[in-house]
Amino acid sequence: MTTLSAIELGRPAVRRQSLWRYWRGGLRGSEFTWALAFLVPYIGVFLAFVVYPVCYGLWMGSEPKLYTDVFSDPIYQQTVVNTLVFVAFGVNLKLFLALMLSGFFMRPGWWTKGLLLLFVLPWAVPALPSFISIHWMLNGEWGFLNNALYILFGVEGPSWLNSRWLALGSAVYSHVWKWLPFWTVILLAGRMSIPQDIYDAAKVDGATGLRRFAHVTFPLLANLYLVLTLLATIFLLGDFNSVYFVTGGGPANSTHLLATLGVRDAFDLANPRLGVAVVMSALPLLIPLVIILMRRLKQSEVQL
Amino acid sequence: MSTITADTRPVRTSAAARPAERMRRAARRWRYLTNAGAAVLSAVLVVWTLVPIYNIIMVSLEAEGDVFSEHIWPAKASADSFWIVLSQGYWYLENFWHQFGNSVYIASMVTLLVLTIGSLTTFSVMRMRIRNGWLITNAALLTYVIPASFLAIPFYLIMQHYGLHNNPWSVIAALVTFATPYAIFIFQEYGRSIPIELDESARIDGASPVQIYFRIYLPLMAPALVAVGTYALLLAWNEYLYQFLLLSNKRSMTVPVALAQFLNSDVAPWNYMMATAIIYALPPIATYYAFRGRMSAGLTVGGVKG
Amino acid sequence: MAIHTRRTVLRRSLGLAAAGALARPHVANAAATTAEVWWTQGFAQEEDVAFKKLVADYEKASGNKIEDSIIPFAPLRQKEVSAITSGVVPDVMEYGDFSFLPLNAWADKLVDVSDIVEPQKSQYIDTALRATHCYNNITKKRDFYAVPMKAAGIPFHIWNSLVEKAGFKVSDIPNTWDAFLDFFMPVQDKLRAQGTRNVYAYGYQLTANGVDPAITFQGFLMAYGGKNLVTPDGKLHTDDPQVKDAAVKAIAKLTTPFKKGYVPPGVVNWNDADDNNAFHAKLIVMDFDGSLSTEVALYKKKEEYNDIVTRGMPLGNDGKEVPSPMPIFGALIPKGAQNVTVAKEFLKYAIEPNVLNEYLKGGLGRWALPLPEVAKNDPFWFKQDPHRTAYSEETLVHPTEPLYEAYNPAMADVSAEHVFSIAMLDVMNNGMTPEQAIDKAFKRAETIFAKYPIQQA
Repeated sequence: MTTLSAIELGRPAVRRQSLWRYWRGGLRGSEFTWALAFLVPYIGVFLAFVVYPVCYGLWMGSEPKLYTDVFSDPIYQQTVVNTLVFVAFGVNLKLFLALMLSGFFMRPGWWTKGLLLLFVLPWAVPALPSFISIHWMLNGEWGFLNNALYILFGVEGPSWLNSRWLALGSAVYSHVWKWLPFWTVILLAGRMSIPQDIYDAAKVDGATGLRRFAHVTFPLLANLYLVLTLLATIFLLGDFNSVYFVTGGGPANSTHLLATLGVRDAFDLANPRLGVAVVMSALPLLIPLVIILMRRLKQSEVQL
Repeated sequence: MSTITADTRPVRTSAAARPAERMRRAARRWRYLTNAGAAVLSAVLVVWTLVPIYNIIMVSLEAEGDVFSEHIWPAKASADSFWIVLSQGYWYLENFWHQFGNSVYIASMVTLLVLTIGSLTTFSVMRMRIRNGWLITNAALLTYVIPASFLAIPFYLIMQHYGLHNNPWSVIAALVTFATPYAIFIFQEYGRSIPIELDESARIDGASPVQIYFRIYLPLMAPALVAVGTYALLLAWNEYLYQFLLLSNKRSMTVPVALAQFLNSDVAPWNYMMATAIIYALPPIATYYAFRGRMSAGLTVGGVKG
Repeated sequence: MAIHTRRTVLRRSLGLAAAGALARPHVANAAATTAEVWWTQGFAQEEDVAFKKLVADYEKASGNKIEDSIIPFAPLRQKEVSAITSGVVPDVMEYGDFSFLPLNAWADKLVDVSDIVEPQKSQYIDTALRATHCYNNITKKRDFYAVPMKAAGIPFHIWNSLVEKAGFKVSDIPNTWDAFLDFFMPVQDKLRAQGTRNVYAYGYQLTANGVDPAITFQGFLMAYGGKNLVTPDGKLHTDDPQVKDAAVKAIAKLTTPFKKGYVPPGVVNWNDADDNNAFHAKLIVMDFDGSLSTEVALYKKKEEYNDIVTRGMPLGNDGKEVPSPMPIFGALIPKGAQNVTVAKEFLKYAIEPNVLNEYLKGGLGRWALPLPEVAKNDPFWFKQDPHRTAYSEETLVHPTEPLYEAYNPAMADVSAEHVFSIAMLDVMNNGMTPEQAIDKAFKRAETIFAKYPIQQA
């Protein structure tokens, strides 16, 4: 048998073998089994608890007639604008502040550590009581904030919840207040993953303070920051507690978000399919985000 | 700020010394500024964080339970409400400690499962690099296409089908479903900064995947584990809608659901509600405090040199 | 792993089948006698206790078992909607809001309970019957889809001490509509002059949040003679000049005090609890809000309890009685319930006059009893307590109307969209005149009603 014919004979077998190896990604034998075993729990969760509900949810919002109802709701357009504003300010304020604060909390000292603990408090207090408390606090006549402004500074505070933009601002504030600690902690963890060696090397090169942040820290955190922005947007689109308890969607339905409008339709109008349709009308915004997120996550290791 | 001491050293007048002196002064000034800036920032943070909390505390200390007033402290202060909560002295709070136990159980199970399943999945996909593992992580994103509040109805339905009606495991399953994708993404991002060479050199040394997972991966992921663990803990601790929908009776309820009872009517003892909220917020803070030591800064990249 | 031989598999499956056959009668019997009931949580603990007693008495009397869940009223709606949508429903549900019954009756999702209500029709107050006699769009007719159990009146609550502090007396309050309402403005003026910076006369719910605003509007509308906005046949009468005139007057009467500063500016964004919070803190003099919850909350504090004056609607401007809105709550049986027989039996038991009376009395009388003759013969309702007397008079003696939702589910949409609250807010904030605001509101209402055509029998 010539070498060539041997190779000819062996080729299909080699191809089969390499296909298999290709799929396993270079993992041999027991390692592959382990890798698969590690995936089984999440696959199980996914199959049992994600596939059906999400498909059912998509089905609930799939009737085209629902969307004519959604778009013909007189407050729908206003609601979309509110949602966009809420998302733009809510997400960016939150994450920018979180980035800055995560740097602040890296400082040594017991004072910073104690402050971090205090700072985590809004995240730890349950949403219902805290948002209701903010609703009371912002009451124009008898709320704590205006009382404090009057008693301490002699200033008559505005009626925070009375005008559309002030109320929306209050809702953004409440949302940021509650969730800022959460994103700060994640970014803090991200910062802590930056090896000290890199900082040392940077110091030798003369980069300190702002320059160090711009040239060393931020590039390393950039991907995480982007991923967090996208996740924060997705989460915020579903957040209805902040608006619901703080402004109730008012005044005059002017601060509704897609999430609160959806809840109103689903439960007050006893029409859950309409509610899902309202939220699904945000899909054109959501899908590009999800695609970007997918691409970002697929990226290989950060090159330093 | 500096003490004035007689400088007895001979004054150096060489050209090299003056810029050094200037730099030292500049560095001191800069440090002073940053310290002052940090102090201001701390003050702002304290005020920012505490203003709504102060309102919560104020209401909880108000004997009449009034939430509107013209003052900035309770008109009739009394810490009775806290005692009522702790002693289960009010009707809505009858089962407070049992419900608290339910919350602890659900929260710990959710945290454990989210951390385990999330880290195992990420380990397999990112460290062991199982081919097409990205399919899994992308599929996980599907969970977030529809916000959780709207998936409540199908979840209610499947839990009935699975026979988990009124069972805390239905809530645990639901919360794990929603928290794990987020955990996977964070672990993935965080794990990128841990060099893969560590794993490879351990493999060459003969370590099995399980050993790499426990000895190398988990310890290096500690800060992310704490961050995501806190997230899962607080999600399960404070989540309200699913706990309410899936658990029907007073014994299986959790504290957030018990808190919602106060919305039962237009008139409620708000001071008890706020006192409950404060008491309930303390355990997660204590847990975070206990674990935050693990979030140590500055990974030493040991084991691989050159 | 066990080795499955054909024999062992056969044996095992036969065994299972046999066990199933033996067990089935028992299981079947158990299912036949157990019913799952969802009930709203009471406002006071006594209400829950009274309900538990009702259940226990029923179980003893019938031998059936009731699995009851007591659910807070606010989230109850979410749970009920989830249940009905998913098809996994309990046997009996008490409904906690005004839209659930008419909307689900329209969609044919409820079991007809006429056979329970009919035998007792004569004992019920007519309003209660009309509130649960809802239109079904599949069968194209009206039937009883819920069993009425609780009546809520909408009284006026007034702080006697504040009125007296201003130098007036509650007994001086005139008894015709406009004069009655105008009484409170000088009260605020005097109180302010004495130094209370932020006290207000009225706590009107002029907001687009919650369920109170729709009730407030209906109350004022009917006071000016506009009760025919929606007639019992479900038709909307926005073209009726008397209705339009009443609507305009109602909006004007509600919004003018706001513009003059007698209603807190913050009402624009109040939720259902805020007026109660303000009233509780003695920051408003008068509140127009449903049920006796404000008073019952202070039941244990006798001084404050006695300080509140509860009273029903004054006479209309023409000196004649005006109807007050009366929401009715009750229980219903969703379609798909496992055990309709026991469900019906339970409800039949629950509305027996003495049973219902004892149940509502146990709940401190927060809800009025929709059985007028029984209430009149029981001193609890009309004699023992001035608050309750006023409440019972308003609900059982003076004229009442159910909420319009009962006549046509379109009204549930109108209320959910807060069409008439928006009208009020248009006048208050956007400079519209009452006529313009009502025109806009009526137009929107007509569009919504067009989606719910009711064929007349």
